[in-house]
Amino acid sequence: MSALDVDDFIQQNRALAEQVETFRGYWESEKHWEARREFILRNIKDYEEQQQDQLLSLSMVWANNVFLGCRYSTELLDKVQEMAEGIVVEDAPVFKTRDEIVKKQQGR
Amino acid sequence: MGVPAFFRWLSRKYPSIIVHCVEEKGKQCNGVRIPVDTTRPNPNDVEFDNLYLDMNGIIHPCTHPEDKPAPKNEDEMMVAIFEYIDRLFNIVRPRRVLYMAIDGVAPRAKMNQQRSRRFRASKEGVELAEEKGRIREEIIQRGGYLPPEQIKERFDSNCITPGTEFMDNLAQCLRYYIADRISNDPGWKNITVILSDASVPGEGEHKIMDFIRRQRAQPNHDPNTHHCLCGADADLIMLGLATHEPNFTIIREEFKPNKPRPCALCGQMGHEIKDCEGTAREKQGEHDEFAGSMPVSEQEFIFIRLCVLREYLARELTMASLPFPFDFERSIDDWVFMCFFVGNDFLPHLPSLEIREGAIDRLVSIYKDVVHKTGGYLTQNGYVNLERVELIMQAVGVAEDNIFKKRKEDDESFKRRMKEKRKRMKAEQQGPAFLTTGQFAPQALGRRDRPEPVQNARHQAYGMRMQAREQNNKDAAQSLKAMMRNGGNSSAEPSGGANSRGLKRKAEDSDSEPEPEDNVRLWEDGWKQRYYKTKFDVDVTDDDFRQKVVQSYVEGLCWVLRYYYQGCASWKWYFPFHYAPFASDFKDIKEMFKDFEKGTKPFKPLEQLMGVFPAASGNFLPSTWRNLMSSSDSSIIDFYPDDFAIDLNGKKYAWQGVALLPFVDERRLRAALTDVYPDLSPEEVKRNSLGSDVLFLGSSHPLFDFIQELYRTESNEGTEIPAELCHGIQGMLNLDNNPILPNETVVSPIPTLRDISHNGSIGVKFKDPQYADDFVFKAVLLPGAKIPTKVLKPGDWERGNREPWRPQLGFNPNRQQAHLDQSGFRALSHSVNRNQHSGQYSNTPPPNSYQRGHHRPSHGGGHQPFPHSRQSLLGAPPSYQQPQYPRQQQQQQQHYGGGGGGQGHGWDRAMQAQRSSYQQNMARGPGGGGAGGYQQRYEQRRDDWPERRDNWSQQHQGYSSGRGYPAPPPSKRYTWNNN
Repeated sequence: MSALDVDDFIQQNRALAEQVETFRGYWESEKHWEARREFILRNIKDYEEQQQDQLLSLSMVWANNVFLGCRYSTELLDKVQEMAEGIVVEDAPVFKTRDEIVKKQQGR
Repeated sequence: MGVPAFFRWLSRKYPSIIVHCVEEKGKQCNGVRIPVDTTRPNPNDVEFDNLYLDMNGIIHPCTHPEDKPAPKNEDEMMVAIFEYIDRLFNIVRPRRVLYMAIDGVAPRAKMNQQRSRRFRASKEGVELAEEKGRIREEIIQRGGYLPPEQIKERFDSNCITPGTEFMDNLAQCLRYYIADRISNDPGWKNITVILSDASVPGEGEHKIMDFIRRQRAQPNHDPNTHHCLCGADADLIMLGLATHEPNFTIIREEFKPNKPRPCALCGQMGHEIKDCEGTAREKQGEHDEFAGSMPVSEQEFIFIRLCVLREYLARELTMASLPFPFDFERSIDDWVFMCFFVGNDFLPHLPSLEIREGAIDRLVSIYKDVVHKTGGYLTQNGYVNLERVELIMQAVGVAEDNIFKKRKEDDESFKRRMKEKRKRMKAEQQGPAFLTTGQFAPQALGRRDRPEPVQNARHQAYGMRMQAREQNNKDAAQSLKAMMRNGGNSSAEPSGGANSRGLKRKAEDSDSEPEPEDNVRLWEDGWKQRYYKTKFDVDVTDDDFRQKVVQSYVEGLCWVLRYYYQGCASWKWYFPFHYAPFASDFKDIKEMFKDFEKGTKPFKPLEQLMGVFPAASGNFLPSTWRNLMSSSDSSIIDFYPDDFAIDLNGKKYAWQGVALLPFVDERRLRAALTDVYPDLSPEEVKRNSLGSDVLFLGSSHPLFDFIQELYRTESNEGTEIPAELCHGIQGMLNLDNNPILPNETVVSPIPTLRDISHNGSIGVKFKDPQYADDFVFKAVLLPGAKIPTKVLKPGDWERGNREPWRPQLGFNPNRQQAHLDQSGFRALSHSVNRNQHSGQYSNTPPPNSYQRGHHRPSHGGGHQPFPHSRQSLLGAPPSYQQPQYPRQQQQQQQHYGGGGGGQGHGWDRAMQAQRSSYQQNMARGPGGGGAGGYQQRYEQRRDDWPERRDNWSQQHQGYSSGRGYPAPPPSKRYTWNNN
């Protein structure tokens, strides 16, 4: 699903797209939201109404990992990376996690 | 505002706000502790009515102290907390109210900070435990000794959060403590105690503020109540000012930087954990009698007098020729508001405003410039006038570019200075270029083994000379080689000097810290673009996004000010970004904020725990709740990363940086919890419910019978406190379900403390006076409030007055200065001199001789009777310098003593010679030549040439400077003292 496909999908599923739009976090920039929206849209068919929060949570796990530098268990990260297969994020920011910083400072 | 920098800045700029506490200590008699009678007048020359304790500032240091070994178990922690409160009570001695507030569930705005603190604390705890384990292993393998590992669980300080079992126990213990003190301590007999535990929502200090605000808005409030608030947070100063109560004092621990801490592994002082060697503990005192006592002084307390701060601010903020009438009270509110720009718990501070760089001074001067244009104040009763704020922000924005450039310059020059300093220190460590060796080697003074007489001096001197020459040759050869290796590049280096060789230079560079990388480079053009790109990952052209950040920040400023002046306006609002915008981005903000959502409710305690804890602290939660933090199927798993990024943001250490934690989605949190709510045990349901403040008092309090009557009639409705029975304090009373009642035993929750069998206290639920939703608390002085007498020196003192200004040191302007009378001096000099065998000092001139500039030559070894010296001291005018003088003698005595007998005699004569030179020095005024200290001492060791020594001491005036004693006071000061 490329960006174009996403637009197509939104055109065809107006109601769903509008619903998904309500999941946008206030702090999310256009770039971050577009990526996460794609993540949600790609996987929404696999999650029933009651499980939607779980999908949202996984989308946040993925976005937090990519845009905020958060680390989760490998099991979880593998899972979201699989789900995000094909989403292109240009120029993703680079982070140092706390563990890395502390390790480096101790090494000195 | 947790920033210690703010308090440091304030106390430097306005030094007179600080008064050191006078603390009366309990006495011991035959091993029985005699408690201090707190019914007696306060030794600080002031009487306080109400004491408020922000309990979290007490709980943290008592449960995991930094400067002493941690308590072994929870019981010890509770006792430590009791003792701490006792100490404060003894210093402050409130006469009406003691209000204890423990942090309850905080507004959402605080959650970001709480989350980041708890996620960090959890990681730091694990790291420390790991490091401990590793080093312990190493030491034991090396055969070192360590005290056996205590079988105790690591205390997770995260349990100091409302809703945990620990907080519940704490509330129980405090109830017991209050009942005990009211029943048994005469100082507590007549006061009203209010306990607001963690089950009551709101941060501790804000619950206190709510109490004060709601009391002073009702007609029975005494406008001259003297409040004393305990806590170390800088925002207490703001809160105190915001009350507009004229008598408001803050008490806190004196901040002493670099206090020694015990090693976390072996508990000994003097080294850090990474340098621990596992050596056996040294005996403290001859029979280890000082074991357990710390070689550091007990933490002392200081008062911060807000009425004096108000005087200072009046000078700073008063403006003449305004287009509107000047109102000092409102200018204070504006000042408080501007301090929020620089730092608060709810918003990240603006990048251009850094307290260390004088941000507040800058803001104040901008404020005074702009106020002519704004046509009025920035705030009123905690409501912000955004149009006027925009003018201030724009003025700051204009300066932003220069601020960043200047910051870079200062930073560079600081680094340069530090580097030079390190270099200097290194050179000093290397010692002098040449040192005598062998029998000429310098020896430390005061050792038992005295050096042998010099033998064969010529030969030895020759040896030393030759050695030095050889060394020089070697150095020269080496530097020649180095030069050739470097292709002659080292010619730029200063020649000679062993420490300037290429090799060394490298080592020196390696200890300068590596720079944290900074992609924003605020000092270079294009900083705004880079800032938004790096911090928010958006383009600077994305105006919509920038507007969003600014709008949130504007809302934040309004929320914070309202929080301080009116109470929590919205439990839901929070700042949803990790960084602040620039001051120059605040454009057209007038329309950005209208009002907050009404009727918001705080989280329940366990809900908030889910919101602020990392998965590693999940043990404080029921198991199905905990599962939500770790299971990959959880619908809120994204709230709990195992590790998170830290943006050092120009700082050096991880703990200074910004923790990039995701924000909590309240809707999803609540939805996830509805599934697990049924799993709570009755005990947990109780812990998760909202509690009430509880009021306690003793049988001699006028309100006591009234409350007892309430219990007797089992009145189930709320009852107003009759104002006349409780110093005008109002509020609603409700029966407690599990009350403390007189003559009913209060069971001690702590095994080591006894039950209270003769309980004389009563407890009842208490609720602050209620007001209509749209009620606005006025930020004004109340009618009838008397402003305390001024403390600062009036600006026109010199013109109008004939007397010299006498600064006020304590609370009392007429405080008697302490003087020693003659008998005091006699006693002092007697005890100070008592260790001397005979009157060797008796013929030294009395101290007053240096006033006359009179120098008496020393007679060798006169054995005059001891009393003579006392007489000479007695004749001197009383002055503070004197007691110091004999003490100095004694120190010297200790230093050189031990010789005793005939030998000691000669030594003592040396001392006389020294003293006379010291006095001569005094006669000539301060300063004196600095040279010769070391050599002089060296000379004195060999005391067989008295004449020469006298010469020495006459030539070298630098006695005091060489010895490291304080420089003698200038003679001018001395005469001033006699007036």
